[in-house]
Amino acid sequence: MEKEKNKTASWLKGHVYDVAAYAGLVITIILFLIFSGDKLMYNATTVLQTVAPYAIISLGAVFVYSMGFMDVSVGQQVGVYAILYILISNKMGGTTAGVAVAFIVVLAIALACGAFNGAVAVWLGLPSIVTSLFLMFFFTGAQLLLMEGTGNTSISIQAKIKPMDRNQYTLMLIIAIAVVAVLVTYFFKYTKFGKYTKAIGANEIAAEQSGVNTTKWKVFAYMAFGVTVAIGAFIMLTRTGSAGKGTGTGFAMDVMICLILGGMPLSGGMKSKVSSALVGTFTYVLLSNDLTTMGVDLNMINFLKAVIFIIIVMITCRKRDGVLPR
Amino acid sequence: MKTSKKIMALALTGALAASSVSVVSVSAEPKKATIGVCFYQDTGKAPNATKAFLESLADTLNVEFKYGTFTQTDEAANLTKVQELIASGVDGIIGTMDLGTQSILSECEAAGIYYAGYLCDFDTSYTTAYDDVFGNSNFLGTVVDGHAPDDVNIGDQFFDSLIEYNERNADAPLTHVSMAVFPVWAFPAQTTAAEQFVADVEEYNKTAETPITVDPLDEEVDVLNFAPLDSTYFSKHPDTQAIMSFAAGTSFVYPTMVSAGVDSDIKLFTTGADGGEETNFGSAGTQTYQQIAFTGAESIVYPLVLMLNKINDTEFADMPEKAERISTELYIVNSDEDMELYVNSLYNTADAANAAYTPEDVLNMTAFGNPDATYAGLVEAVQTLTY
Repeated sequence: MEKEKNKTASWLKGHVYDVAAYAGLVITIILFLIFSGDKLMYNATTVLQTVAPYAIISLGAVFVYSMGFMDVSVGQQVGVYAILYILISNKMGGTTAGVAVAFIVVLAIALACGAFNGAVAVWLGLPSIVTSLFLMFFFTGAQLLLMEGTGNTSISIQAKIKPMDRNQYTLMLIIAIAVVAVLVTYFFKYTKFGKYTKAIGANEIAAEQSGVNTTKWKVFAYMAFGVTVAIGAFIMLTRTGSAGKGTGTGFAMDVMICLILGGMPLSGGMKSKVSSALVGTFTYVLLSNDLTTMGVDLNMINFLKAVIFIIIVMITCRKRDGVLPR
Repeated sequence: MKTSKKIMALALTGALAASSVSVVSVSAEPKKATIGVCFYQDTGKAPNATKAFLESLADTLNVEFKYGTFTQTDEAANLTKVQELIASGVDGIIGTMDLGTQSILSECEAAGIYYAGYLCDFDTSYTTAYDDVFGNSNFLGTVVDGHAPDDVNIGDQFFDSLIEYNERNADAPLTHVSMAVFPVWAFPAQTTAAEQFVADVEEYNKTAETPITVDPLDEEVDVLNFAPLDSTYFSKHPDTQAIMSFAAGTSFVYPTMVSAGVDSDIKLFTTGADGGEETNFGSAGTQTYQQIAFTGAESIVYPLVLMLNKINDTEFADMPEKAERISTELYIVNSDEDMELYVNSLYNTADAANAAYTPEDVLNMTAFGNPDATYAGLVEAVQTLTY
């Protein structure tokens, strides 16, 4: 009996972060079911629409965060990619071929930026956050310049990139999330890629001395992240059909919050999990949705979000020498 | 003196509207409605005054209001906010931002609810997607904070304020002024207003004994990219005696004037009012502020009444086929007398007891509350807030 108790206590101690993350998700789902009332189905589809781009980008971010790194340029990249999708496809007459060309161009840029982010940080011996800061400023300028060229604050895509039927669109989003989740899970859990990124997060020097080419895997991690940013930007564009000077603002912070809410340790390492991206994203979006449907005062919503965030950070941060990623 | 009349008309308009209530009987009990209102920021003079005004109407109009905030930059975030409000059961949404409007309207259409604008010219939609937005039966129109870009007169009003100041201070008139605006891509009406102001001054100078010099707009320092005025502004305009800030000067110009130590020497004529201006306004304190301007929160009756008509299955006989954008007159405060009235206004106090319209006045503007009510009457009620 005593042994059983100790076993449970020991399991709980080892999984306190997971329990906290899943408990958060369960609570937000219960509130969602209660307060959605007769709009449950509608609300479920809207939650899924909001979740989709965050989930896809957060899934890619798992590779970067598992190394204990982060990328603050995500928001600006999303903005520029969304604008490029529109400009290129509109230039090609709003055709499906135009959208395909735009996607290839954006994907190439995203891969190049990922490679830059990973490689330059290693070669110059800089914390990766510094190179992502550079990219953030670069993309901020690019976003403004691209929009200045259009003479508008916001532009719309001419091509049809979203099914007219709401159910079909919902299915499309579910498939997109599922495909990315399966691929990321496979690479993160069952290949060297995931093992090495986690090893870098746990102890980079030890990983290096074990023969892991840390530079190569860092670059790959950022490139994988870039791919999901390109896909996420496209999924976001299917929702709104438009983009502008401020599209993507705050995305980097949102992705970080999603991962932390999902139990991703800021310091990365062996306890990093793909599920953090999905659990955290759903919790984050449902939390905002619940507070609105519950009729919580506007100012209170921001306050509550801040309180919940800081509590989760304090619970999940296990890094001895600080709280921020490298 | 002229502008004092303008602002006093606010009280008169309310009194006139109230007097008409007594002779018109309410035809039907309004249906219970829930309306979402999304502001461009959480708090501030305009949101606070609008909330207070709306809450004062809630019982009489049988409406529950739910509030949210739109971002000024992110289409997806605004769409999410709209979806959350729809999920919470609103019958209509009043928004203050033209960002992602087409996707928002698609969502409103699918949910069978209405959408309308407030304090926003919806210029992007107006110029690039007019049929999709203004031709959409779920979009009911918008009321602009001041004049729409194709209907600007704020430049004339700045000129009037300057001349009135010079008449009051004939011994030390302002003869050299400079300007500040937000970028044309964001607020095209401001650049138009600046051009209008320059044209008015040029016309005035033809016969004036003491001509006025206006420094032309300098792209580098006079166009504020939503950041405070740069301190180099004063070296670029070394002779300026007053800044005509078509951009929100209280937040973006005044702090730089104070930190540069020129607030006692240079006057500020501006749009916007954030509170606290009275301390250094007109003949008080440092006398920096010589004009502030604001839009009456009562102008929200335009989208509100149109939305309530739809929810109550009623319509004005003279309702236009397509949605419209309606300009409003800004309240111009440019004398000590105006300031006394401003201090006690709904905008400054967020006290609905100071509003131009009572709940009964607003009910009287609706088609279900007053069978004789007209669209023209509603537009007039919004546009006569100051005149």
